[in-house]
Amino acid sequence: MSKVEVRLTVNGAEYVRSVEPRYLLVDFLRRELGLTGTHIGCEQGVCGACTVLLDGQTARSCLHFAVQVSGSEITTIEGVSAEASLSPIQDAFHRNHALQCGYCTPGFVLTTVELLRQNPSPDETEIRRGLTNNVCRCTGYVNIIKAVAEAARSMPTGEG
Amino acid sequence: MAVPDRPGDDSWKIVGRSIPRREDAWLLTGQGCYIDDVPEPSNTLHLGFVLSSEAHARIVLIDAEEALALPGVIDVLTGEDIARLTRPIHTGFLLEGHRDTTRDAVAREKVRFVGEAVAVVVAENPYVAEDGVERVLVTYDPLPAAVALESAAGDDAPLVHEELGTNVVLESTFATEGLDEAFADATRIIKETFRTGRIAGVPMEPRGCLATTGRAGEELTMWTATQIPNIVKTALAKLLGHPESGIRVITPDVGGGFGTKAHFYPEELVCPALALKYGRPVKWIQDRREELLTNIHAREHIYTVEVGIDGDGAIVAMRCNMMANAGAYSSYPFGATLESVGGVRFILGPYHIRNYGYETRAVASHTCPAGAYRGTAQPTAMLAIEGMMDRIAREIGIDPAEARRRNLIKPEQLPYTTAVGTHYRTGSYSESLERALEMIGYEEFRTSQPPDRLVDGKYRGIGICCYTENSGMGVAAVRARGWSVLPGFDGALVRVASDGKVKAFISHAACGQGYHTSFAQIVADQLAVPFEDVSIVVGDTGLTPEGTNTFASRGTVTGGGAAVRACLVVAEKMKRIAAHVLEVSADDIVIENGVAMVQGVPDMRMTVREIAEVAYSLTSHVMPEGDDYGLEATDHYDAGMPTISNAVHVATVAIEPADGTVEVERYVVVHDCGRVINPMIVDGQIHGGAVQALGEVLMEELVYDDAGQLQNATLLEYSLPTALDVPMIDIEHIQSITDENPGGFKGLGEGGVIGGVPALTNAIADALAGIGANVNTNPLKPSRIAELIDAALESR
Ligand code: FES
Ligand code: FES
Repeated sequence: MSKVEVRLTVNGAEYVRSVEPRYLLVDFLRRELGLTGTHIGCEQGVCGACTVLLDGQTARSCLHFAVQVSGSEITTIEGVSAEASLSPIQDAFHRNHALQCGYCTPGFVLTTVELLRQNPSPDETEIRRGLTNNVCRCTGYVNIIKAVAEAARSMPTGEG
Repeated sequence: MAVPDRPGDDSWKIVGRSIPRREDAWLLTGQGCYIDDVPEPSNTLHLGFVLSSEAHARIVLIDAEEALALPGVIDVLTGEDIARLTRPIHTGFLLEGHRDTTRDAVAREKVRFVGEAVAVVVAENPYVAEDGVERVLVTYDPLPAAVALESAAGDDAPLVHEELGTNVVLESTFATEGLDEAFADATRIIKETFRTGRIAGVPMEPRGCLATTGRAGEELTMWTATQIPNIVKTALAKLLGHPESGIRVITPDVGGGFGTKAHFYPEELVCPALALKYGRPVKWIQDRREELLTNIHAREHIYTVEVGIDGDGAIVAMRCNMMANAGAYSSYPFGATLESVGGVRFILGPYHIRNYGYETRAVASHTCPAGAYRGTAQPTAMLAIEGMMDRIAREIGIDPAEARRRNLIKPEQLPYTTAVGTHYRTGSYSESLERALEMIGYEEFRTSQPPDRLVDGKYRGIGICCYTENSGMGVAAVRARGWSVLPGFDGALVRVASDGKVKAFISHAACGQGYHTSFAQIVADQLAVPFEDVSIVVGDTGLTPEGTNTFASRGTVTGGGAAVRACLVVAEKMKRIAAHVLEVSADDIVIENGVAMVQGVPDMRMTVREIAEVAYSLTSHVMPEGDDYGLEATDHYDAGMPTISNAVHVATVAIEPADGTVEVERYVVVHDCGRVINPMIVDGQIHGGAVQALGEVLMEELVYDDAGQLQNATLLEYSLPTALDVPMIDIEHIQSITDENPGGFKGLGEGGVIGGVPALTNAIADALAGIGANVNTNPLKPSRIAELIDAALESR
């Protein structure tokens, strides 16, 4: 199958690769760039494990072809915090035991980045609503909801 | 942490503390390495499986021509081809009444469920493998299928395995002496049938494996998303005819298991077989549709329970007749016994029931094989017994909590042996019930509950579950269940390196439980070294000792037990070395927080690092007479029969009469798993389990049509709970320490779901009891609840 050029800025670095037009964004990130923190849970847009920020907004990388988003800016879990440190959101997840197997976690963290950017001090219902597009099978969400609330409290307004 | 000056100060101990998890550092930052993240060599071949579209059919023709013509497709193999490379999967069961079935890794001649593999495509990349799968044309000659549990058990049902002459693959009966007489003495007899729907574990990460070979095929390394690497290794040796010493099975980070990954699956045989055939790495990653179609299903059960009670509502005799849908094949390693035998034995729970009998059957059908999902049969067994408690209360006009009080095993009855021979050593059955009732404000709830249960336009109810949880099975327990391919023991190797840092290699596999943290807490305390100095290795048969791995809440009891015992040996040796150098008796040495000191003379001290330097001959000191170099020990610990945890869950629900939707309003848990290692991790396990229970009761169901087609093999159609559905959960712990194992631990991985299913179901039943609805069938989806409400209101 013929290949097309895809140009993406991922976590601040620019990448150019030739891939098949049908190549999914999630495969581009994982297989071409080696950014395996973005996970695949359903390939149908249901579970949110593949959530990334696409030009600043959450997007399901399993639902986009890489070529469709060529020219965009992407943030993956690898770009959320500097090497070997935790962002306030990640730290809140850590302190509240908001992850078990961790498979869903990158998606939840990126969803929380957007949630708190849009609403820096959400109440519990707003947090729950903000998280409904991500599925976690391990935690029962209880500690994720607590972690998001704590992250909101600990973050100066507007910080990602 | 400061070094204590005084021996005897144990403030440095960390078992019992909510230490934030170690594994978060890599899992939170995208550095986790799950099966699809394991670096694959550039010459890796990728597999795609062609899945049967028929539930029961003869395979007439497999036409691979078009697939083979695709650039990048290397090969297409049929069941016959794979059978030349592998032996059929067979558990070789040792239980009377169990009719074992064998399974070809890829079907030959016949298919027995939708999703069973009929061919495998080998390709240069995963996209082409998928293209190839679509181009393999299979012609089937369809046969009638046996699907639903009761009809599959019928005399005229189509047979799943003709050679057996029946679909009943397990039959077992039991009765205590004098059961009929006990029933004859009962004041009243209450009978009910409970049905539960088929569901599955649905971990967020599907399965997958990568097999590589080395040294001209002598060495086989397999990464696989499993909970049971050692069981997989032994199975591979047997089924590939490859020396076991040349096989290493590694589990990378695993994205949830819940029992579904505690089985050995056909793809785990095909990948290494083809890696050996081609001499190239072979990889397969499951997609969600395959996950729902082919990973172990569970919980399609029917219980008919009959209790005889005395005038006070105490059970004087009980009978249970159970059936479980076992699916098309015996699962490996559990056979078809896991649910059917478990259900009738676990059902006694925390209750004093002396006269008991059961009949149980596992029934093969043309559906996905059934096996372990968190709790196995315990959630449904407790659903049945707890459902009976509520019925006893209703029958004699007492409160449901009171019915339980009158039947619980009393503290003075411990240690206790149940009618089926299970030993309960310690527990807090009454205490945890009373505390849970207090926490939720049970009395107030009852007093303000009107007879019709309608409060602010919603039916409101409260449900209780008192349960026991089987954990930490050892050798005797797995033999008693007939599991011949499970060893039963677990192993730990604890090694102190020359710099005093400790690594413990434990025969378990992590899939979210936090072993890197909780096992490290155990080892740190046992060796009296700082937590930061301990690291854990699990999930690698090349590094850990042999063992039975992770399922049935075994981790802390068997892995923790082995670690404690190995640590004791290492600690003794450390004391001997310190004593030798300090020229005192080993009995006078105490070790605390990384320092060995002479009791009463705290200035005479050596650090663990200095001791290790002696052990590795890096100083001028020599070893004590009779001691070998090195500082490590291996222990294989057999926990014997199960250790029994207990807990009480109480939930309140509000049901919208118009559409039958249920909101869980309050949820409390009083939990007793003996010594708690890390309360935060334990609470997380309870949360997760309780919410899986919520899914099981309110929304989840795998629906087969009569032809055996799975109607909802996507996450769009198989609903899982989301953040909007769940209650906050209040948890308290009681710690009934046991002396059954070295750490005083009891397992807890499954309890959340075991307690949650009955508590939530009974809360709904209670909410609808005012209008006279009888709730005995799960799941209770809104449409079903609406039907129950309509029917109840109509018949009034
Ligand atoms: S993998 Fe993209 S939403 Fe599930
Ligand atoms: S932590 Fe396992 S799925 Fe969320």
